[in-house]
Amino acid sequence: MNESLQQELVKDLLVESYEGLDLFDRELLGIEQGQGGSDRLNIIFRVIHTIKGTAGCIGLGRIEKLAHSGENLMSLLRDGKLVATGEIVSALLSLSDALRGMLRVLESTGSESTVEHTDLLAQLERLQIAPSATPAPVVAKPTYGLFDDEDDLPAAAAAVAPIDEIHADAEYDAENEPAAAAHHETAPTAAVITASAPVVAAVAAPAASRAPVSEAPAADPSRSTASVADNAIRVDITQLDKVMNLVGELVLARNQIVSNTTVFDQAALTTAAQRLNIITTELQESVMKTRMQPIGNVWAKFPRVVRDVAKDLGKKVRLVMQGQTTELDRTIIEAIKDPLTHIVRNSIDHGIESPERRTAGGKADEGLLSLRAFHEGGQVIIEIMDDGNGIDLERVKAKAVSKNLITAEQAGRMTEREAINLIFLPGLSTAEKISNVSGRGVGMDVVKTNIEKIGGSIDLQTQCGQGTTLRIKIPLTLAIIPALIVTSGGARYAIPQVSLLELVRLEGATARTGIEKLCGAPVYRLRGNLLPLAFINEQLRTAPGLGRSIGDDDVINIVVLQADGRPFGMVVDEINDTEEIVVKPLGKQLKGISCFAGATIMGDGRVALILDVVGFAQHAHVVAETRERPVDVAKTSFVADCDKRQSLLLFNVGGKRRMAIPLALAARLEEFPLSQIEHTGDSEVVQYRGQIMPLIRVGNYITGGKVVEADPEKLSVVVYSENGRSVGFVVSSINDIVEEAFEVQRHASGRGLAGSAVVQGHVTDLLDVPALIRNATPSFYAVAA
Amino acid sequence: MSKRILTVDDAATMRKMVAFTLKDAGHEVLEAVDGCDALNVLKDRAVDLVITDLNMPNMDGIELTRQLRALPAFARTPIILLTTESDPAKKMAGRTAGATGWIVKPFNQEQLLAIVAKVLPA
Repeated sequence: MNESLQQELVKDLLVESYEGLDLFDRELLGIEQGQGGSDRLNIIFRVIHTIKGTAGCIGLGRIEKLAHSGENLMSLLRDGKLVATGEIVSALLSLSDALRGMLRVLESTGSESTVEHTDLLAQLERLQIAPSATPAPVVAKPTYGLFDDEDDLPAAAAAVAPIDEIHADAEYDAENEPAAAAHHETAPTAAVITASAPVVAAVAAPAASRAPVSEAPAADPSRSTASVADNAIRVDITQLDKVMNLVGELVLARNQIVSNTTVFDQAALTTAAQRLNIITTELQESVMKTRMQPIGNVWAKFPRVVRDVAKDLGKKVRLVMQGQTTELDRTIIEAIKDPLTHIVRNSIDHGIESPERRTAGGKADEGLLSLRAFHEGGQVIIEIMDDGNGIDLERVKAKAVSKNLITAEQAGRMTEREAINLIFLPGLSTAEKISNVSGRGVGMDVVKTNIEKIGGSIDLQTQCGQGTTLRIKIPLTLAIIPALIVTSGGARYAIPQVSLLELVRLEGATARTGIEKLCGAPVYRLRGNLLPLAFINEQLRTAPGLGRSIGDDDVINIVVLQADGRPFGMVVDEINDTEEIVVKPLGKQLKGISCFAGATIMGDGRVALILDVVGFAQHAHVVAETRERPVDVAKTSFVADCDKRQSLLLFNVGGKRRMAIPLALAARLEEFPLSQIEHTGDSEVVQYRGQIMPLIRVGNYITGGKVVEADPEKLSVVVYSENGRSVGFVVSSINDIVEEAFEVQRHASGRGLAGSAVVQGHVTDLLDVPALIRNATPSFYAVAA
Repeated sequence: MSKRILTVDDAATMRKMVAFTLKDAGHEVLEAVDGCDALNVLKDRAVDLVITDLNMPNMDGIELTRQLRALPAFARTPIILLTTESDPAKKMAGRTAGATGWIVKPFNQEQLLAIVAKVLPA
């Protein structure tokens, strides 16, 4: 075998075996929890079997030997001759650790580890306590042959071979006898092992209960570097074929365009441009899909982590996982790996109580840790939920006070939400003592920083005695993001949509008086709360001549953004549109500027800078500059006491009827001139962001509603989106957004209504959005499903 | 003379090694990851030889052999089983299913080429 093939095979073996061993651990834990069954046993058998076979073929004798001894034990399990006891499971887990260790050494040094694993081998052999079950001793046998030539099998099938062929074959076997014998030395059969077992077992017996299997640290330098499996992804061949086809099409489209630029033919160029558009979009999706990986890949190791941590701490934990197939970009998967592991460990260490305490508290002695992942509004949500003791916020506050992160007076005034946010401050570990499991330097602040680095956010909810839920929101991909484009001082900027809360436009008199000064800092009263403002022209010192100052403007555009969980307003000259932008990193000369996260190239070929919202907010001093600074109680009250309030979008239907929907359901507010409305079948539609969006005239579907619209030239539309599809609700006028605590009173006979409530002192009907959509465009949900 | 050979194994490394060895010897090689995949590959193509692993998800080598033997096009195609089993029952099952021969893993390239030469006379 030549050198490069050998190297390539080793690389393949590594990827395949790492994956296999993860599966092995997972299935084995299933067996340990009594969810056995021959399927699982077959799977774990196959993993080790494959490693053994492959390792043997590329001359890795030690790995083969170790896998072989495990295989023997597992074949007894599979054939029902042994039952998987805790001891056997532990030994098999040690086996997988040992194999991983050997693979790592192989990976980093290029040659096989020299560690013998004598203890483990002895243990694996000792556990095969059913000698009668082992196959009869097999003496050196041919390594290959034809069934027709055999006489060592029971002749039930009795295929009588011609005599001359038997002769030929006998000759053949004789030739290969030495090779076969040599082979069986390295891969002894079960019978041979049993024969030699007493000797080894005698040596190993005292220490055999838990085989200390670990590669010597010096021999394991690979920890710092990513292992082969981390750098490789498996891509479905059909997916790659599709990408290749699309690239082919792209080349054709390019050729068309290039030839059209010389012979200018408007129509042909338009057609080619349209095709180019379609192909590019498809190509983008396809390439992105190749980078997508199920989150289950990261979760795969959690059953093992949970088992080990729980065992160490003497706790009982059941792990439930939902949505393993939810897909995320590879880079994001990598980035959330460590934070997730930390959170899982934390939940078991600090969250779930010991079985005794749980029983005393009236809970099942087994704690529940549940992981859930799902898509929501173009993002992925990961929830880590435990039913443990929750977080004692008083203790958190006391700790924060003792570490001088906040004053005792601040602690006293803190709301629950603020106290929870303390957990994310650096230097705060609530564990009374540092355990092996958590509290080693990496705190929740690091978790939070890492998640925010990839444009995600983290939210924690806890109920004393009931448990804790962590909710992580992350984007699907980092390469292409939706962004709001704004103009200021003559330049365009892109603001990532994830940070965007709302847009406020002040006109006329409000524009002149709406912005007030509080201790010299500009603020705006947004629904009864003070919103700190930052003027982008001032902060970036762009075009001072063009910059507008307070008081002499007709229109002021405020982009309400969220940084570090706190809202602030960014005043810009103009708000343009939302667009999908491709994120390009900044050159190293500009990288140090915290206000910018990158750059993108706009449709006209010019560059626009992408604002780093957190960086900008810190630069403008509208949020605390660094995390070291304690939480400012006054500032956060905005978020704090909105807990029970809800934001509503108020609008009129049929001229004067007041209606509302939760603001969260309104994706966008749009106005369409009547001329844009087209018809398919008997429904009205408009072209909206490359899609055909059905319009629902709300008035037609509500009892007592009329179809009279206030402004016949333009339609006011509330856009609702779900699963990438949109539908527009046509209303008479959009009035306001309010944030109020209100009580819904159910209607007996309101078709399409969820109920009524008193909002701002007026009776307001609440629209039942799903019911209305089902009623008006039944296909909306059918296609989405 | 060049032959077309299908190698069936869920382990990519194994497949690669078999494929490389056979290609090196001048054969054309098709690959499949398990029994089902193999049947798919063979739907519209004939091969001169099938080399299949025994233990695979979805459909194992024994079942693949059985199903191929039931197809007129593959009734006489040689089938070699890759096995590490010293278990006579498994081997017996392979024989009953209609396999032509077997080769024990691990094997080296010479051994593989030898059995191929044996079932595929030039």
